[in-house]
Amino acid sequence: MNAHTLPYFTTEVKAGFPSPALDYIEDRIDLNDIFIKHPHATFIVECTGDSMIDAFIPPKAKLIVDRSLNATNGDIVLAIVNGEFTVKYLQKNSIKTKLIPANKKYQDIEMQEGMQMEVWGVVTGIMIDPRDLKTCMRW
Amino acid sequence: MYALVDCNNFYCSCERVFEPRLANRPVVVLSNNDGCVISRSEEAKALGIKMGAPSFLFADFFKKHHVAVYSSNYTLYGDISNRVMKTIAELVPRFEVYSIDEAFLDLYEFPRHDLAELGKKVKESIIKKTGIPVTLGIAATKTLAKMANKYAKRNRKDTGVFWASNDQLIDEMLASTDVGDIWGIGEQYAKFLKKNKFTTALGLRDAPQEWVRANMTVVGQRLLTELRGMPAIQWQAEEPAKKNICTARGFGELLKTKHEVGEALASYASICADKLRKQKSCARMIEVFAETNPFRREDKQFRRSIRMQLPVATNHTANLIKQAMKALDIIYAEGFNYHKCGIVVMDLVPEDAVQYPLYEQTESAKEKKLLSALDQLNKSLGKDLVRFASQGYSKKWHLKQMKLSPCYTTRIEDILKVKN
Repeated sequence: MNAHTLPYFTTEVKAGFPSPALDYIEDRIDLNDIFIKHPHATFIVECTGDSMIDAFIPPKAKLIVDRSLNATNGDIVLAIVNGEFTVKYLQKNSIKTKLIPANKKYQDIEMQEGMQMEVWGVVTGIMIDPRDLKTCMRW
Repeated sequence: MYALVDCNNFYCSCERVFEPRLANRPVVVLSNNDGCVISRSEEAKALGIKMGAPSFLFADFFKKHHVAVYSSNYTLYGDISNRVMKTIAELVPRFEVYSIDEAFLDLYEFPRHDLAELGKKVKESIIKKTGIPVTLGIAATKTLAKMANKYAKRNRKDTGVFWASNDQLIDEMLASTDVGDIWGIGEQYAKFLKKNKFTTALGLRDAPQEWVRANMTVVGQRLLTELRGMPAIQWQAEEPAKKNICTARGFGELLKTKHEVGEALASYASICADKLRKQKSCARMIEVFAETNPFRREDKQFRRSIRMQLPVATNHTANLIKQAMKALDIIYAEGFNYHKCGIVVMDLVPEDAVQYPLYEQTESAKEKKLLSALDQLNKSLGKDLVRFASQGYSKKWHLKQMKLSPCYTTRIEDILKVKN
């Protein structure tokens, strides 16, 4: 997650002209820079269930989870409920906290007395093989 | 001012980050080959499990008390440690990694009135970003910071931060610390001090000057200076290059042939070569040893080692393996149940200062390229994927790791699976 590739040229100047592009070299686009803002607080996990398919998170989707962010209302989060990991929408206001699935088959999880609920990290990216998206489509 | 950050029960805490069911459960992590306990959660400590407890003696006890038992997963711990250190670096630029789970911070550039707040911030930032709970001790010298950390573990369990900020707090801390628990004082020295009526760190700090001059070594006096609040231990921002590197492990099961022992030894030699290349040094001498298991009374016992001067200092995997095999040829004897072997590379010199004999061919650029290609491949494809044939593919000598957790953060096939 901290790999950086820098373009590196050793120009062997033979006869002829040096490359006119040499002065204009820039770093190649690095997906890590774009999707991972806090590399040492970021983890990758894999979903195996279908409770989030309406949010386009099919089984086998890999999620980028950032622990350094504070979860806010509407975030997709990796949470721990009674000792189990789960991925859900977070609904949070001054009165109550709820975890909401993106699949009508499943019910909302409402924070209740004696229940352990904790946000482990905020989902900041979803990596999907387009072929796995089929399970998200209803036609 | 200095701070010592120490990760609480580090290996157990790493396992807990990815296994929420372990919260509030006793957890232990075992040493290589699942030999003995090397990390305990607070709950495991409360059950009376001691550091170093042999796992085979406690198997029933673990089961009875629902202790979660793990083999050591150094790949995981190494990565989490790295994340912890990087998190510290964001807040305190001058720091020194002291061990896999400890770091000294140099706080000279922070105003005094900010230190309590800073300590809290470091602690909270680490647990938030990595999931690892830590304890901080803050004091005027490294020795006192280390002591303040232990004090915090005993007396500041709620906040996890202790700052020895005034004379009263410092004296209280010193008075509650046994001389044997001072950083850098060994068992023998502690005995000597106690015989001279110095039982606590406070007593030692206030030792009369004449006694100190007559009875303490230079090292001892430096320690005293530290206890008195004046820094005397050098700052080591960069890890000094190691003088010896040893790779030795017990086998997963007993080995009976030279071929099998040779495979294990070749792998260890390859690990040593890797480490040498990483710190850019070459070895001029190696020591190789092989031994039986002294705890197996029923076995004939054997242990032999040999030191060999190398013709040219090297960090080349193939060369080291070749020399290690030569050494094994000399010491190996048939008819024993081998339990462990190892190689120590010693007499190290910087890579660029290797002296080649006049007619010896140098390690050609081609060989260098081969090795850096090998290192790159193994870095990107996984440990030991590409290797020298002599390392073999037998699994017999591999570590016994019955309860190894996944390498959640370094292998894509091992990432956390979430049933959602």
